[in-house]
Amino acid sequence: MTLADNLFENLRLELRRGCLTLAVLAQLRQEHYGYTLRKSLAARGMEIDENTLYPLLRRLEAQGLLTSEWREEDKRNKRFYLLSSDGQEIFTRLLKEWNDINTAITNLL
Amino acid sequence: MEILDRYLQAVKRHLPWLRQDDILAELRANLEAQLEDKEAELGRKLTDAEIETWLKQLGSPLQVAARYRPQQYLIGPAVFPIYWFVLRLALGWCAVIYAIARTVEIVANGHGPDAFLSAVAQMPWVLFMTAAVVTLVFAVVERSGAKIPEKFAAGAALGNDWQQGIKSPFDAQLDERRKPRTYAQAVIEVIFEWLALVWLLLVPHYPYLLFGPGAWYLRSLPYQLAPVCWTIYWCIVALNVVDLSWHIVDLLQHRWQGSRRAQHLVKSALGLIPLLVVLAAPGRVLVELKNPADTVHAATLAQINNGVYRAFEVITAIVILQLLWAIGRTSVEAYRKRLAAAR
Repeated sequence: MTLADNLFENLRLELRRGCLTLAVLAQLRQEHYGYTLRKSLAARGMEIDENTLYPLLRRLEAQGLLTSEWREEDKRNKRFYLLSSDGQEIFTRLLKEWNDINTAITNLL
Repeated sequence: MEILDRYLQAVKRHLPWLRQDDILAELRANLEAQLEDKEAELGRKLTDAEIETWLKQLGSPLQVAARYRPQQYLIGPAVFPIYWFVLRLALGWCAVIYAIARTVEIVANGHGPDAFLSAVAQMPWVLFMTAAVVTLVFAVVERSGAKIPEKFAAGAALGNDWQQGIKSPFDAQLDERRKPRTYAQAVIEVIFEWLALVWLLLVPHYPYLLFGPGAWYLRSLPYQLAPVCWTIYWCIVALNVVDLSWHIVDLLQHRWQGSRRAQHLVKSALGLIPLLVVLAAPGRVLVELKNPADTVHAATLAQINNGVYRAFEVITAIVILQLLWAIGRTSVEAYRKRLAAAR
């Protein structure tokens, strides 16, 4: 990897970091467990590495933005996540921020 | 599956102890679902070699577990600017004090160039120890304060006093009384109190830290401090230790913004102890002759002791009056608040 590629990769990861949270919150307006969430995000063009997504879910839950419960599905116990009421409020505000940034960037280009 | 079990057991070893079973159960459910999907796609079971390759792609157990740890840094981004500021300040002052102290010592004792080289060689170690102590203090602060987001706002207030330039000194003084202490101020205070304590402990070994080049002159005098001065010295050290410990406890218990009036009163009262020790000095002798048989300087010694003793009497009287004034003011304010609350 060249220096320019490395720099691009770092900037790309930095750009994506905040967007991942927004994408996860958006997708968890419907209940999912970790793996199906990852698949549904990937199906909509937002690929997230397991090592990023699963700890992120834990952090968002600890921050009160998600609720979770263990439930059996297909004879296997799984932890299902859903956006909490606080999470819904934060998501709405983040989405507005995202749209503002998007508009601003579009105006700049 | 045996390979997946081994992988998960390896991950478990590095997970946070309290939540490891819960995290591992979730990780297992997700990985098993992913494995089933892969097998459904292929229409057959994955071989052990294929599972091993897939798990290697996920990352080493240590890397996977590390993502679940809450804090991955010693000093976080919110505290780092303050840490960096204090570190540079501490290293700068340490270098200056060390250079002056060692130079005076070498010149005073008439040591040669070897002593200079030795002092220069020791300097990196002194700076390294200073940096280590500052880093350790900030690491403790980061750990203990991780649960209180207000500290980030308070820490960010460092350097925000630029507007004071357009105010009168009276306004600035009023603001100083009204505003609560910031987290950064409290941390810097603790660090400087620690440095002051170290300085105080070094003074008996390196008197020039207190008297400067005058220490050289004092050594040539026929007088020396009486043993009671050591009692006074250790009282002062003890007061500094109490002060420092008090502030550290305040920091750890997140009470740095609280009112310090009670603390000030207690400290002022404790500050009387060394003064009372001076006034109780046997025979009012604070300075004595190095050679007790020296009759030439005996008369001058009596004058010195008398003068010093009188000076301490005046200082003690002033301190007692200040303390009484502070107690009276605090009592009146407490009474006024109680009246206001009753209404």
